[in-house]
Amino acid sequence: MNGPLILELTGLRYKLLWAKTRSRNGRIALFLTGYLLLLLLIVLMAFGGIGAAIAAVRAGKALMIAQGVLMSLFVQAVISTNILGFGMSTVFSEFELRRYPLTATDRRLARHLTGILDPFWFLFLSLELGLALGLYGLEAAGFWSGVCAVLLLFICNYLCARVVGAFVDQLMKRKGGPAVLLGLVMAMGVAPGPLAQIFKKHADWGVQLLQRLAFTPPFAAASAMVSTDGTAARGFALLLLWIAAFLAALIWMEKRPPARQAAVSTKVSWETPFDRAGAFFGPHLGPFVGHWLRFYARNARTRTMGLLSIPLAAFLTYSTSRTLGPDGVFIAAIGTISMATFLGTSRIAVNQFGYSGGAFRRYFLLPAAPADTLRAASYAALTLGAASIPLTLLLWTVFAPVAFDPRRILMLFASALTGLFLFNAAGLWVTLYNPRKGNYDSNFGNDLSLGGNVVLIGSMFCALLVPRALHRWYPAAVTPEAWLLFLPLPFLAALLYRISLRAAGPLFSARREKLLAVVEGRD
Amino acid sequence: MDAIRLTNLSKKYGTVLAVENLSLAVPAGSMFGFLGPNGSGKSTTIGCMTGLLDPTAGRIELLCAPFDAGNAAIKRRIGVMPENLGLFEPLYAHEFLAFVARMFGLDEATTRTRVTELLAALELTDTSKTLSEYSTGMRKRVAFGAAVIHSPEVLFLDEPFESIDPAGVALMKQWLRRLTDQGRTVFITSHVLETVERICTEVAIVTRPGKLVWQGDITTFPIRYDGQEFHALEQLFLHLTGERYADLKWL
Repeated sequence: MNGPLILELTGLRYKLLWAKTRSRNGRIALFLTGYLLLLLLIVLMAFGGIGAAIAAVRAGKALMIAQGVLMSLFVQAVISTNILGFGMSTVFSEFELRRYPLTATDRRLARHLTGILDPFWFLFLSLELGLALGLYGLEAAGFWSGVCAVLLLFICNYLCARVVGAFVDQLMKRKGGPAVLLGLVMAMGVAPGPLAQIFKKHADWGVQLLQRLAFTPPFAAASAMVSTDGTAARGFALLLLWIAAFLAALIWMEKRPPARQAAVSTKVSWETPFDRAGAFFGPHLGPFVGHWLRFYARNARTRTMGLLSIPLAAFLTYSTSRTLGPDGVFIAAIGTISMATFLGTSRIAVNQFGYSGGAFRRYFLLPAAPADTLRAASYAALTLGAASIPLTLLLWTVFAPVAFDPRRILMLFASALTGLFLFNAAGLWVTLYNPRKGNYDSNFGNDLSLGGNVVLIGSMFCALLVPRALHRWYPAAVTPEAWLLFLPLPFLAALLYRISLRAAGPLFSARREKLLAVVEGRD
Repeated sequence: MDAIRLTNLSKKYGTVLAVENLSLAVPAGSMFGFLGPNGSGKSTTIGCMTGLLDPTAGRIELLCAPFDAGNAAIKRRIGVMPENLGLFEPLYAHEFLAFVARMFGLDEATTRTRVTELLAALELTDTSKTLSEYSTGMRKRVAFGAAVIHSPEVLFLDEPFESIDPAGVALMKQWLRRLTDQGRTVFITSHVLETVERICTEVAIVTRPGKLVWQGDITTFPIRYDGQEFHALEQLFLHLTGERYADLKWL
């Protein structure tokens, strides 16, 4: 094994991160990210891990609470890395590493070592370490057993997230893969409800399930952390087994030849749905919008997120509705429905030119005003987002456990449109002022700028929290009787979008050299 | 009549001067070579002349009219093959060419005819690959096709011959000659001096930072300059831009 070179590459990963601070935007992003991470770390460490440990020991249920906390963190890490892309960036690709004198094993190790050393994973590690140290401080666990269990679980968690990512990636490249993925996610989104009912009916099944869960990595880590007898040794052994299994699965998946998209074009087709949809925007903007629709639709990440957005919105609606009273599903849906309109296109909508690479300069060579480029790109995102609204409303009408009421449909429609316009208005400004060079072909990894992440994650938080806040302080505003209140919202949002679009056009032209430098990786 | 006229063109990137007071006139119908060492501001000059970059100072006239980045009417009459090709990687070649043609105002029927003919002529008939899957030479052919699809009056080609096989270069040269025969102007930057010498009628040589050091006719050799006689463009170029020699003992 070429250890020194692998360490050099790991060092290079941080040098590259540091190199970003050479620009003004980079420095701002670094400091803000640094402070944000530090704050999160402190909050997580203080209130999360140690707090959970104290609660666990006081309740005399150290093992049970450790199991619950670790399982929750494990699942959240897998979901958030795969949905938001944090901690999944490939700093060095296999192709890039081939230029160095490294064996296949060295290259794999270098790739995953630089992957696991992502600040995002440190957040989870800090919380888990907080739990272990808290339990140690309260004499409910040993120091070394706690730390070792957490480190093994951390590796296991990273490998599991990578396996899930590789599985989704390969599935998306196969014929029918998107449909299978949609089915899987739909099943995951719908399953909690019926499962909860089943476990309520058969309480003994819950006990049996807990026994089975003892074989999972988080439960094994909890045993290794808290137990002192042979159970701890079994926990460590189980963790090692899981690591070996995930590693084997990952190596197997990475070694598989990349599947070509089954639909190979062999005939030149002139009339495509993109061009037909673009034609609605007139002869001047039509080809441009058609081009942007094609650009969005060919992006694997956009397609994956587009497929996931409705099931994810459904899942979040259900999971956040329980504390919102009898009409909780509807109240939660008022916010979450907007997610279905922007999640799919979000990556490109907040960084419209970041994935164009060298083609960005082509826009300025065309006989069209630069503002038209910006407008066409934004219209394409709006079109795709708006297209999901009828489907979402149809699914709501069919599946929501709420009596049909046209006022509710109208309110949801208004909320969806409002979210769509507001998100895309914000996306325009981030596109202009905080762009980032991204990789169009990467299906995973969070390559958004700080501004992009703030808008995306902020929009998701708003979608989850605004209806909750209204329910708390103005409960009448989220009842069907308040439907009239919702009617002006999309118009106001559309106005804001229109103002943003008009203001952004000249700015786009003025900032094109700056954008060119960022998009082509020179800034 | 000059197809291109630059008057005291300067371009600064922050404090870095990329082009300094460049004045140039390119006669209509000529095949004009714009030469210089790496980093001498050739691409920056083309960027300014095609609307990609805003000059810091100076004046640009294309086809006898003042030109700036917002001049769509002039842009419609010029064709550009940028240095990095400017291709939309996820598209198929026909989609890319059709998009460019439509943006330049060609109607649907003309677009289809021209795209089909271009793909056949440039031997880009493999429709199963997107542009990202094409080889460098094939990508260059697509970019060349996009530059000429609307029959421009002035054609800017930034490093057009590098990475293209001899047959492709021969075809491109044939098309370029046809364009100049029709009175259209071709403006080329290239490091392949033999090719430039063979096809260009006039050449301008710049050094860092975008400073014109020589411009003249290269249809007849020898060229007399600085009290010396030059029998090939390469000799003149090296004399003007400086020959370099570095001895690395370990190499």
